[in-house]
Amino acid sequence: MNARHESILNHSGARWLWIALALIVVSLLAYALHSPAVPPNGGTWLGYTLGTIAGLLILWLMYFGVRKRSYSGTSNLRGWLSAHVYLGTALILLALLHAGFQVGWNLHTFFLVLMLLVIVSGFFGVYCYLRYPTLMTRNRESATRSAMLEEIAELDQTALTLADGIDPKVHDIVLRSIQNTRLGGGVLAQLRAHDDSDAALAGIRAALEAREKSQQAAGGAKSGQTIFAMVDFLASGTNDRQAEALRKLIDLLSRKKTLASRVARDIQYQALMEIWLYFHVPLSFATVAALFAHVIAVFFYW
Amino acid sequence: MRWLIRRVLKQGKGAVSYEEDVHFGDILSIGRAADQAIFLSDIRAALNHARVTALSPGRYKVESLILAGIRVNGELTYATNVGAGASVEIASTRIVLLEPPRDFEAAVEISTLDKTEQEAAKAKRAKPTSLRETWLSKRFPSWLLFVLVLAFGLLLPAASHFVPALGRLMGHIGLPTTASWNPGPLDAAHRFFGDDCKQCHRTPFLTVRDEACTTCHTRMAAHADPARFNLPQLGEARCGSCHQDHLGLAGMVNTDESLCADCHTDLPARTQNATQLADATDFGKHHPEFRVRLPAWDASGKFTPQLTRLAADLKENSGLKFDHALHLKPDLNSPRGRRSLDCASCHVPDAGGLAMKPVNFQSMCQDCHTLGFDTFAPDRQVPHAKVAEVVYMLDDYYAKRALEGGYTEASAPGFVQQRRRPGDTPLSQQETIEALSWARNKSRQVADSVFTGRACVTCHTVTRAAATNVPGAGWQIAPVRVAGIWYGEAKFTHAKHSTMDCKDCHAAATSKSATDLLIPDLANCRQCHAGADGGSKVASTCIACHRYHQSGTLQLNTL
Repeated sequence: MNARHESILNHSGARWLWIALALIVVSLLAYALHSPAVPPNGGTWLGYTLGTIAGLLILWLMYFGVRKRSYSGTSNLRGWLSAHVYLGTALILLALLHAGFQVGWNLHTFFLVLMLLVIVSGFFGVYCYLRYPTLMTRNRESATRSAMLEEIAELDQTALTLADGIDPKVHDIVLRSIQNTRLGGGVLAQLRAHDDSDAALAGIRAALEAREKSQQAAGGAKSGQTIFAMVDFLASGTNDRQAEALRKLIDLLSRKKTLASRVARDIQYQALMEIWLYFHVPLSFATVAALFAHVIAVFFYW
Repeated sequence: MRWLIRRVLKQGKGAVSYEEDVHFGDILSIGRAADQAIFLSDIRAALNHARVTALSPGRYKVESLILAGIRVNGELTYATNVGAGASVEIASTRIVLLEPPRDFEAAVEISTLDKTEQEAAKAKRAKPTSLRETWLSKRFPSWLLFVLVLAFGLLLPAASHFVPALGRLMGHIGLPTTASWNPGPLDAAHRFFGDDCKQCHRTPFLTVRDEACTTCHTRMAAHADPARFNLPQLGEARCGSCHQDHLGLAGMVNTDESLCADCHTDLPARTQNATQLADATDFGKHHPEFRVRLPAWDASGKFTPQLTRLAADLKENSGLKFDHALHLKPDLNSPRGRRSLDCASCHVPDAGGLAMKPVNFQSMCQDCHTLGFDTFAPDRQVPHAKVAEVVYMLDDYYAKRALEGGYTEASAPGFVQQRRRPGDTPLSQQETIEALSWARNKSRQVADSVFTGRACVTCHTVTRAAATNVPGAGWQIAPVRVAGIWYGEAKFTHAKHSTMDCKDCHAAATSKSATDLLIPDLANCRQCHAGADGGSKVASTCIACHRYHQSGTLQLNTL
């Protein structure tokens, strides 16, 4: 058994890396040896050849989207992804050689730019696939997300019971903390690993201040975070039994906080692993449309 | 104030019963403390959690008494005014504010959320934890971009092709027209109509036809006669085969060797021996020896150069006698002292630098080679290149000398030799006749000597028409051609070779005879020039010397 983990990049001895490299070398050689009388462009025989290969390659790369969804294939998906990555990368060079490095303000260069955007977003995807699964596993510490969420719910219950035995004010604070622990959220919230407590807290604090101002009622914990509020309370002098319970509560809440940020991070990793696809896939469809437009336009005005 | 508090009791299997209670007071307090109007036992409720104030029948004010706030109609709030039907959720309890029935100022209904309801409420409040649950989507933007790119990249421009007016409008408002398909800059000369693709691309999906080119290029010479050579069968010979636009300034003139070489291989077989041209595919490797236009004249004296393959022993007939080696020796003895000549003394390029000007006797030869004919009048010379004039002039000259007298040559009669002074008696009629007779004889004699002995024959071939055996008449000078176009099929120009010395190509210094052909051959050119892949030599493709549009009689648009 191979000691190294087999990733999409070194799948079956990096077979697709070598195939892609061979494709690149052959194309480069052909380009170097080909000396058309006119500047290299897509209209020479080599231009047409490279263009045809690149065009078919784009369609094949698109087919990965179909292949990915089907579980019936005999070849394994990691191999497909490996080929997708390497041949997709080789496409950059194929396209540039096809065009003879000519660019301009036209449909054809627009097509090139779209294709490059797709490939670059794909690079980010490769980076994510290589990096985040490991980080995710390490972050979860062999728990699952639902297990962590269940533990948080249990901790909440225990904390409330404990807090109730201390002081209604503490109970209030813990209750607020529970309410403020919001995992997940919008796209940006997920990507930022935000458990939303700070944002919610700020909103609540602002509302509170407004309310206090209007009612001219002083008092109540103003300090932002639950734990600081607890420490304030602790410092204000209570009896030993309460202090003991409070310490326990603080332990509970820190454990909860750890769990909550871990879940938030888990969500973030997952979101990062997925977000690039929301660019990669639509842009790749735009690229296919541009491919059709490019080919038809070129032969429309042959 | 009377509050109706109705508790909903669930009794399993969906059966429900109600328990009603009355509460007196302005406010309805809710919490886990024992003194609350609505007592909640759930640990998630604060002791004094919230309070409800009835503002008017059916209007309530709900206030949170804790920092966490309360959830009214699903929204977290601290204080809000709501109407009947609003629901407040605290922990597992739902409190619905009702329209007060008769005899009550306010009413609430309290129910406990069972497990599934709690889960549902929680799920409803839960924020999305994966991107799939957010507004983000792949399918919609994919379709949108696909359609947009296809529409703006293909369909709209195509529409602008078929409906020119639409195209103009679109161009005006910045929508992509067929101009957005332009793959590269046009040749400078084509830009003035370049906005209109259809000027050249007349039919979609067909290559540009030659007619599109010859619309403007009306006088472009053809390559060869299509009646004798089936050019399209020999190879692709569209205008576009060699002239590709949209490649900037580099594309229009294609100098690729294969454009010529593809056809000029096996020419006799390809053309069924219609051509006399030898095959040529690469100047450095495969090119026949040059064919030179040797000077020749037909019977009527018309210059009719003979196209002859160069060979080592090939001689030319320029009509002159000339020793280059002699003339290039230093310090020649000339009437005005010692003189050294070089090539440029006689060979001067024409204004365009293409060929050499004809050698001019008056300015180049006459300094040394004077055309004097009489030692008694060393300044007098016969005119050059005018055979008849020479004889007339000699006649006139000797008649004058005979009548004037004082011509002291021994052959002359005495009264011709005698210098006549003013007041002397004039010549008698007899003497005049004698004098003129002598003059005519002398003139003929001198003429013969000029043509055959002294002057003309030095350089020219002089013949005498057999019929005319009269002294001093019937002389003929052979026609002369020294400078001109030697290689008519190629476009050699001296101007481009000005860095070379004359002797690099013309072995004049050792040539003792004018019949030596001093025109350089293929090997000479190959010293510097090679074919397309020239290596260290000058890369020269066919087009460097030859023209494709070379027909002198046929034009492309008349074929």
